[in-house]
Amino acid sequence: MGIDHETLVGFAKSWGLFYLIAMAIGVLIYTFWPRNRKRFDRAKNSILDKDDKPWR
Amino acid sequence: MIAQLTRNERHNALIILGVVGLAGAALGLAGRNDLLGYHGLLIVLFSAMVALPVIRALDAPEPTLDREDEYYDDPIRVGVILTMIWAVFGMFVGVWVAALLAWPELTFTDQAWASFGRLRPAHTTGVIFGFGGNALIATSFHVLQRTSRARLAGQVTPWFVLIGYNLFCLLAVTGYFLGITQSKEYAEPEWYADLWLVIVWVTYFVLYLRTLARRKEPHIYVANWYFLAFIVVVAILHIVNGLAVPISWGSAKSYTIYSGVQDAMTQWWYGHNAVAFFLTAGFLGMLYYYLPKRAERPIFSYRLSIISFWGITFMYMWAGSHHLHYTALPHWVQTLGMTFSVMLLVPSWASAGNALLTLNGAWHKVRDDATLRFMMIAAVFYGITTFEGSFLAIRAVNSLSHYTDWTIGHVHAGALGWVAMITFGSIYTFVPSLWGRERMYSNTLVEVHFWCALIGTLIYVFAMWNSGIIQGLMWRTYNDSGTLTYSFLESLVAMHPYYIARTLGGLLFFIGAVVGTYNIYMTIRGTTAPRAAAGDVPVGRPLAPGE
Amino acid sequence: MPEFHRKLERSSIGFVLAIVGVASIGGLVEIAPLFTIDETVETVEDMRVYTPLELAGRNIYVREGCYACHSQMIRTLRDEVERYGPYSLAVESQYDYPMLWGSKRTGPDLARVGGKYSDEWHVAHLINPRDVVPESNMPGYGWLARNQLRTDDLSHHLAAMQTLGVPYTDEMVANAPRDAFAQAFPDSAMADAMVERYGAATNVRAFAGDRNTLTEMDALVAYLQILGRLTDAAHEQASAEVE
Repeated sequence: MGIDHETLVGFAKSWGLFYLIAMAIGVLIYTFWPRNRKRFDRAKNSILDKDDKPWR
Repeated sequence: MIAQLTRNERHNALIILGVVGLAGAALGLAGRNDLLGYHGLLIVLFSAMVALPVIRALDAPEPTLDREDEYYDDPIRVGVILTMIWAVFGMFVGVWVAALLAWPELTFTDQAWASFGRLRPAHTTGVIFGFGGNALIATSFHVLQRTSRARLAGQVTPWFVLIGYNLFCLLAVTGYFLGITQSKEYAEPEWYADLWLVIVWVTYFVLYLRTLARRKEPHIYVANWYFLAFIVVVAILHIVNGLAVPISWGSAKSYTIYSGVQDAMTQWWYGHNAVAFFLTAGFLGMLYYYLPKRAERPIFSYRLSIISFWGITFMYMWAGSHHLHYTALPHWVQTLGMTFSVMLLVPSWASAGNALLTLNGAWHKVRDDATLRFMMIAAVFYGITTFEGSFLAIRAVNSLSHYTDWTIGHVHAGALGWVAMITFGSIYTFVPSLWGRERMYSNTLVEVHFWCALIGTLIYVFAMWNSGIIQGLMWRTYNDSGTLTYSFLESLVAMHPYYIARTLGGLLFFIGAVVGTYNIYMTIRGTTAPRAAAGDVPVGRPLAPGE
Repeated sequence: MPEFHRKLERSSIGFVLAIVGVASIGGLVEIAPLFTIDETVETVEDMRVYTPLELAGRNIYVREGCYACHSQMIRTLRDEVERYGPYSLAVESQYDYPMLWGSKRTGPDLARVGGKYSDEWHVAHLINPRDVVPESNMPGYGWLARNQLRTDDLSHHLAAMQTLGVPYTDEMVANAPRDAFAQAFPDSAMADAMVERYGAATNVRAFAGDRNTLTEMDALVAYLQILGRLTDAAHEQASAEVE
């Protein structure tokens, strides 16, 4: 096999760490982006609206 | 129910049932000299049984109203009933196996089908996949439609998903009694049942996406994220872990493609993530919808729910190897699993805290409304269990707890305290409106169920904590001369009182489920309990019909 | 980023891909390297495969769900090593499809139970555990002694495992039903050929003692008696560590 074990483990571990950090930053930016505030508030309250029928 | 389908759709349903029945016949024929033959027959009978009401109503008048004006609730109603049937079955078997551990000669001592080793997977599959799975399918259909403000994208498909899934559960459970199992924990069903589940699951996934695509709300409500993650990841887990080579097309037996250490890692990657995405993500979806709905307060922080969603989705996947500490698994994999298990506490507590903070200011409702209290306690147990999970994943703790009843206690704190409680809370929230009733048949019975469930869980969990820790300590106690103090048998004898206590705790929980089933049954029948129970109507606004 | 996420969420397909991507990483990182690994599984010369009879016994162990109460994995902890024997090595479950490490010890670990008790003890214990261990809460397995062992499909079993990489020879596959029989009937004409195929260390004897038929009890006892004895690697490593 072309890829040996050490390389694979090294890649998996370092890339995994990088990936984790990048993803966390991405999620945080999305979550706290000011323009998203309204959407989230809408979503938060939307489930309490009357929902006896589908909207057409 | 069938009248909701057009004639064309009824024909399609019959064609599907015919194909499934034929496949069953083919299996039965190929496996006529094997246990597989029984399952072929079972599939044929099952298809015929489902086909019967369709054939009967084949010429009934077509639906006249525009169906798009209504949510599609028929499959959800059947799903709720199936959920309760599986709950009663699975929990009954649970009490039974618990009793067998305390009194091994209690029942059918010389019957293969009724021995502990065959009943135990029937219990786990019955409650996890039968009860939990049906609850997830039913509530996901309910939440999906309400939050999308759109009807399910299909008329026959939701039925296919629900009934097909139950066929899978039936094949699984009957298989264990017959002696058909892969002995892969929580993935015991054999290759043909696994293949069938793949078909059902992909259909479920497509249905979910197609319905989401029709949504009228621009934003996908967070509960759907959890349901979607549940569907997607369970598909990955199931397919990867289930890869196997059948010994022949006419045999129920197959060999998994993984062996030894690879199999152990794959299996616990599966097993742990089944906990994460089957028993956590989907039920968090319920929590994020039904708890705010019942409390009539929006979720405390929507942002927190997003962060915890991605945290759970990402981190759970790494945690599986904490099941294999001090084993032949490479050390770095164990360490990685431990680290992520501890980190998991953050998103888990974020969810539990979010739920409890939502209730802040509505504690009077929690006091008066057992349904809401079910969900509140579920959030508390979720917090406790995830803390305990991270704790048990630490290598030093695990050296004591692994292989003991502590694990069993942990699992049941999660399964009874979190999964079952949130399910009952959710079901009590939407059953009345689903059948157009003003409220449940009896709120007193909801209270009874609540207290049975809570006390049962506490007895169970405390018994297992005690027995587990005692067991772990006895195994590693040395006397002054440097030899082991206790034989294994002495540790087993010490467990006896706890096994009895556990049986009682389980029995209480089971009784609660039976009471709940009766209550739901009476609600469906449309009667309300005599006015003697008048005092205990929840203080909150009674649910409007159709809500 | 938010624009991207918004679009992502609009098309739920993208959202799904994101979940798949995020969720797969952990599995890939942990599992993928195990398949290229050489260090995970030690190479030992004397590792042997299960005979057809032992494999059939293993499948009975699987069928009866024994893993629910018995582990087959001795951890690297002092008390476990002293109680059960040298800790388990990865190589010892190299041919275990699936592995039966277990997760719960309602009963003791079985990784090294082979040779610890006599065949008679096992048979009596399996028929009614309380006859030999009065405090036991294990179920009895009386039907194993009554059920004739199914051998006609054993060649299929070996062939499937051969596909998966277990070093069964074609000759072993072809002769599987006969070899299963021979292992419990030492006087039979087929016994020598069987020993030749599977090695001199193979247990060949009447496991369940019943000379009329080959029962499931024969198979299960044959399997239990080989547990921990497929290789001496663990014992060798243990004595090397002492020195």
